[in-house]
Amino acid sequence: MNMARDTLAEVSDEALVVLYANGDPDAARLLMQRLLPRVLSYATRMVSDRAEAEDVAQESMLRLWKIAPEWRQGEAKVSTWLYRVATNLCTDRLRARQRRRAVALEDAPEMPDGAASAVAGLIARQRLDALQAALDSLPDRQRQAVVLRHIEGWGNPEIAQVMEIGVEAVESLTARGKRALAAALSGQRAALGYDEEDEAP
Amino acid sequence: MNGQGNDLDLLLAGARDEIQPSAALMERVLADAAALQPRVMPVRAAPPSRGWLAGLFDVFGGSGAVAGMSAVTAAGLFLGFVQPTSLSSLTEALQGGTEVVENMELLPADGLLWAGE
Repeated sequence: MNMARDTLAEVSDEALVVLYANGDPDAARLLMQRLLPRVLSYATRMVSDRAEAEDVAQESMLRLWKIAPEWRQGEAKVSTWLYRVATNLCTDRLRARQRRRAVALEDAPEMPDGAASAVAGLIARQRLDALQAALDSLPDRQRQAVVLRHIEGWGNPEIAQVMEIGVEAVESLTARGKRALAAALSGQRAALGYDEEDEAP
Repeated sequence: MNGQGNDLDLLLAGARDEIQPSAALMERVLADAAALQPRVMPVRAAPPSRGWLAGLFDVFGGSGAVAGMSAVTAAGLFLGFVQPTSLSSLTEALQGGTEVVENMELLPADGLLWAGE
């Protein structure tokens, strides 16, 4: 049961999982193209280590391939399920890292260079590095909520599903996380190229 | 605080660019997918039907067996009609003569029942 790739492009993630389970050779590639960059970006922001993030992303996709034959459409979105798996894997790695007491800010991931000038690119890189460092300083659950809400752009109900908590708890975590982020970055405004005069009275 | 909050929002928005996976990672993911993808057996067309006569032959063990049975049947009919002399002699030798018992009393004569009268 092979479908033309043009047709598959309009198929939902959930249907692609079913097609993969039915032996369609193109379904896996399309699922990977759709989901791998997202889960890799999320994992990178969560664990601050590109190699570990790649492991998390690969393992998350591996679990998707394994569960595909038992996937039941209508129960959950594939992306929500995948982010939940990635969240759990990231949490496991962060806990293991804490046990090893080997947290290091210099492990910040390589961020893609912008197309701006070299100086602008450097400033952008410094800002992203500072953001990553500030994210790393947050408690795990706050970091998950902030990344999902403010970087991944998810809604609170979807974040609640991923984190397996209530919507009110998500709102609380994101609010506290964002306040903590602002506090962590407050002393670096000038260093990061933000004009102090821009600040409103 | 507003300016700082806006800066943070801009910073968070700037971090939304997706990190593109390396070619090596994509290869690993696809290799996993290929290794774990369920194999679906291709559906093969049923062989064309050979007709009712072929099915009947199969019941008796195939066309060879049916040909053998037909030959034996024809030979039996031939021998029954023609009755060759040599075959009659053989039959007589086996049966010990040509006498045929036509009647056999299996019950005593009914006169025995009336003997007392």
